Amino acid sequence: MIYLFIFIPFLALIVINLLPQGEGEFAGWAALAVFSAQLAAAALAACGLIGLGGGWLDQLLHFRLLSDRTGLLLLFLAGLVGGTALLSGWRLRGASRSNFINLLLIALTGINGLALASDLFSLYVFIEVVAVSSFVLIALFRERSGLEGSFKYLMMSALASVLMLSAVACFLVAADGMSFAAVRAALAVPGNYLARAALGLFLCGLFIKGGLVPFHGWLPDAYMSAPAPVSVFLAGIATKAAGLFTLVRLVRLAPASADLSAVLLLVGTLSIVVGALAALGQRDMKRMLAYSSISQMGYIVAALGTGSALGNAAALFHFFNHAVLKSQLFVNAAAVEEQTGTRDMDRLGGLAARLPVTGTTSVIAILSTAGLPPLSGFWSKLLIVIALWTAGHQFYAAIALLASGLTLAYFLSLQRRVFFGRLRPELENVKEAGAALLLPALGLSALTVGVGLVFPFILGMFIK
Amino acid sequence: MNLIFLTILLPLAAGLLTLAVPGRWRGVREALLLLATLAGLVSALLFYKTTLTVNLPWVGFGLELSFRLYQFSAFIVLAVAVFSFLVALYSCWSMAGRPSAGQFFAYLLLTVAFTNGAVLADNLILFLFFGEALLLTIFGMIIIGRPGAWRTAVKAFIIVGAADLCLMFGVILTGKLAGTFAMSQINLPLGGPASLAFIFMMIGALAKSGSMPFHTWIPDAALDAPLPFMALLPAALEKLLGIYFLARLTLDLFQLRPESWLSTLLMVIGALTIVLAVMMALIQKDYKKLLSYHAISQVGYMILGIGTAVPVGIVGGLFHLLNNAMYKSCLFLSGGSVEEQAGTTDLTRLGGLFSKMPVTGACFVVAALSISGVPPFNGFFSKELVYAGALERGWTFYAAALAGSFLTAASFLKLGHAVYFGRASGQDNPVKEAAWPALLPMIVIAGGCVLFGVYNALPLHAIEPVLGARLAHSFAGGPENWWLVLATAVVIGLALANHFYGVKRSGKAAGASDHIHYAPGLAPVYDLAEKKYFDPYDLGLKLAGALAQFLYWCDRAIDWLYESLAVGLAAAFSGLLRWCHSGNLSNYAVWALAGAAAVIYYIIR
Repeated sequence: MIYLFIFIPFLALIVINLLPQGEGEFAGWAALAVFSAQLAAAALAACGLIGLGGGWLDQLLHFRLLSDRTGLLLLFLAGLVGGTALLSGWRLRGASRSNFINLLLIALTGINGLALASDLFSLYVFIEVVAVSSFVLIALFRERSGLEGSFKYLMMSALASVLMLSAVACFLVAADGMSFAAVRAALAVPGNYLARAALGLFLCGLFIKGGLVPFHGWLPDAYMSAPAPVSVFLAGIATKAAGLFTLVRLVRLAPASADLSAVLLLVGTLSIVVGALAALGQRDMKRMLAYSSISQMGYIVAALGTGSALGNAAALFHFFNHAVLKSQLFVNAAAVEEQTGTRDMDRLGGLAARLPVTGTTSVIAILSTAGLPPLSGFWSKLLIVIALWTAGHQFYAAIALLASGLTLAYFLSLQRRVFFGRLRPELENVKEAGAALLLPALGLSALTVGVGLVFPFILGMFIK
Repeated sequence: MNLIFLTILLPLAAGLLTLAVPGRWRGVREALLLLATLAGLVSALLFYKTTLTVNLPWVGFGLELSFRLYQFSAFIVLAVAVFSFLVALYSCWSMAGRPSAGQFFAYLLLTVAFTNGAVLADNLILFLFFGEALLLTIFGMIIIGRPGAWRTAVKAFIIVGAADLCLMFGVILTGKLAGTFAMSQINLPLGGPASLAFIFMMIGALAKSGSMPFHTWIPDAALDAPLPFMALLPAALEKLLGIYFLARLTLDLFQLRPESWLSTLLMVIGALTIVLAVMMALIQKDYKKLLSYHAISQVGYMILGIGTAVPVGIVGGLFHLLNNAMYKSCLFLSGGSVEEQAGTTDLTRLGGLFSKMPVTGACFVVAALSISGVPPFNGFFSKELVYAGALERGWTFYAAALAGSFLTAASFLKLGHAVYFGRASGQDNPVKEAAWPALLPMIVIAGGCVLFGVYNALPLHAIEPVLGARLAHSFAGGPENWWLVLATAVVIGLALANHFYGVKRSGKAAGASDHIHYAPGLAPVYDLAEKKYFDPYDLGLKLAGALAQFLYWCDRAIDWLYESLAVGLAAAFSGLLRWCHSGNLSNYAVWALAGAAAVIYYIIR
């Protein structure tokens, strides 16, 4: 059964392209059906309503997959954010529409593979699947800035590929195979320096993929220059799956050690602070969101650095919240850009009067990201700070807390410059965005509030 | 329905109802007020000799709805009922036609309810609750006075509220030490933390009774609040409650012994209150303000008496409490009538009113003789008891009390002479006697002053059982030490001589105390006192102002920290980071490689 998560997007891709394209309406609905089905299946499986094991496909194939709650979390988010991205790109027409849908489906295949892979090499392959589709997606319109962002991502990804492939090579020598179990066994042997070097190499590859400081150079350019629906997908799930989810898998393989903890904590807090400070000075709405993304991912990595069960849970919970919130904010950015034609916050203002839904949902997402109770972001940040504190990293806990203030500062400045204040005269005729952008915004906001109110339920569903 | 609940709930319900009755319904509110207070009087009389306890579980944690009606509390409840009825009658006349009359009636009834609740409470927390509730009605009654009264209301609120905070602390400490909040079960020996608890509770009790240094709102309220308020609250109810609680503190809750330093502390406070307040009273040129300082001074006698911790002193103090409530209410009511009829309370503009307002004048004379301690009025007998108690503890206390008597007599000679006798200065306006609802309470109280003096066994036999076994014999009848009576007579004679000397010197009755007021050495002190330099409240306000200024600067500094410094730092770092993110891919690749090298080195080292 579980293979279907990989096969169905892939088969859908083939079937959609075999059928006559027309205006591309059918392709859109079919892809939406795939994303919705995945969302539903993952949710049902997480609730324990459907089983994932068994089925004739499992008997037939020799390729072993891993199905656990962490994987389900990623599957759920892939369905959710993928569907959101698809809806925000609903207005695309012609070749870019079909390219967009096809690439989304390929990326979904890759992400689903990431969620289910049970060995490091498959993990690497699926990372590349996601990455390649992302390169093309960023340059979807083949304009200058998109190509530049895509190129930077490609170059840095090449570096990451080198590091990860070297790591794979080292593990082939140092470990008894590539499966998670074998790698775990190799890392548990003290004095196995080759395995530890391989761990470090893979880690750095993932840091580049995730865009953590100081490996983050490509990320702001890529997020900013990508077309609006693509940034939703990239920021919401693609880089998180390729960089952070894989990091969760990798860190769980290594035995808890002070060195690994120190690296994760340092990279995490560095990302938190640098991302937040850099976000503070941006004029471009999407670039600010990109730096904010770096800062938020820093929280996840820092939480992983505690090495405790609470830290792990907190990291995954923040992963979930971050995917929801960042998609929401990029959808809002897409709405603003689509309706006003600019993302320059100094040329916006007072849009709350013209885009009431976008403005309101943006406030919810911003407050949640900054960690205000009772929204979802509050609980995950609280858990992260508690995890850091109880693991004895009071200094890092204090930084994480203080950086929350910075988060609130840059997000409030965003809200004030874009949505509040007096409406600029040239924006007098702006209208609210269409349903394709409002529906996901409303849905994600509802999720933010709902998760905040019943967060133990989500914790139990995907994480514990 | 228990009788105890009736005495609390009936005035409470009537008070709330009074607030709800529209002002158009003439006479309804007055009827409600009179009926409720009359019912209170009847019920207090009915259960005067009974003993009742009620214990209902309430919140838990030692907080129970428990009331106790016994000798002492029944006595106070009866006194409250009598005074509230008489003042209600009077205020029907004096508040008539005022827009705030309805509010005043309601507050009056609520005050009665809360006072009864506090007196009957057998649980310290419950007592605290009712005591705090009184704060509300005090505030309400003052603020509906003349325009600008809010300043005085706030002052009263802050002073009494601060003292109540001390009381709260004392209550918690006592409950902690005793292991229970039930008042009838607490009997702590003093010393260590118990002394601290005693002092905190004592502050609460003293502030309620208006003793120094918690008195400064009373003279202000005398001018600003509606007059019946002064007759009711500071002169009677608050003192009944405050002194009742002080007596409970020294008799039941703690074992205050005559040789303890706390007893001496109480006596010092009492003696200072007597002398300092009466010194202020002496120089006043306003009928109500003069009386208000006496209201403070007389509390000193009660505190002195109770503070002696010897039976004769305690009985004297409690007897004086009752007497003071009587003549002080009577005096304030007479002042109110004069203000209502003559249109002023300025002593320099009044005069010769006795022929125009003979009943009021006669009542004033009786009350003034009582407060000055002239036999055979009630004030004489209670003061003699307090003197006897003070003398047992030391002649300085006795001397202070006697000096207080001299000044009291002198100031009332001045007041009576200036208002009721002598010549009216200025225009001869037609002043008439007040109406019967104003006269009746005064006549009743003045009659009471005579009765309690001539037949002092009646009140004393009600008070003495409070002390229980401590009392060897009754103090009813004439004084035991005739030397003290002789000293009192000499002092009153001296006051008379001083008065006539002063009148002759200044040429007018209102200036009878000028030679003391402007005596070398005293004049600058009086000057400062009149300017409120000795008012702890004003001093506190100045201190608070300075503190606020200081905190303002601290706040500025903190503002600068996060408005300028933090923002500047953040902007600088942000700019630096933007400068680093030039978009140059090779830079980014170098960062990543350097980072990777560091990570790998760190992990395998």
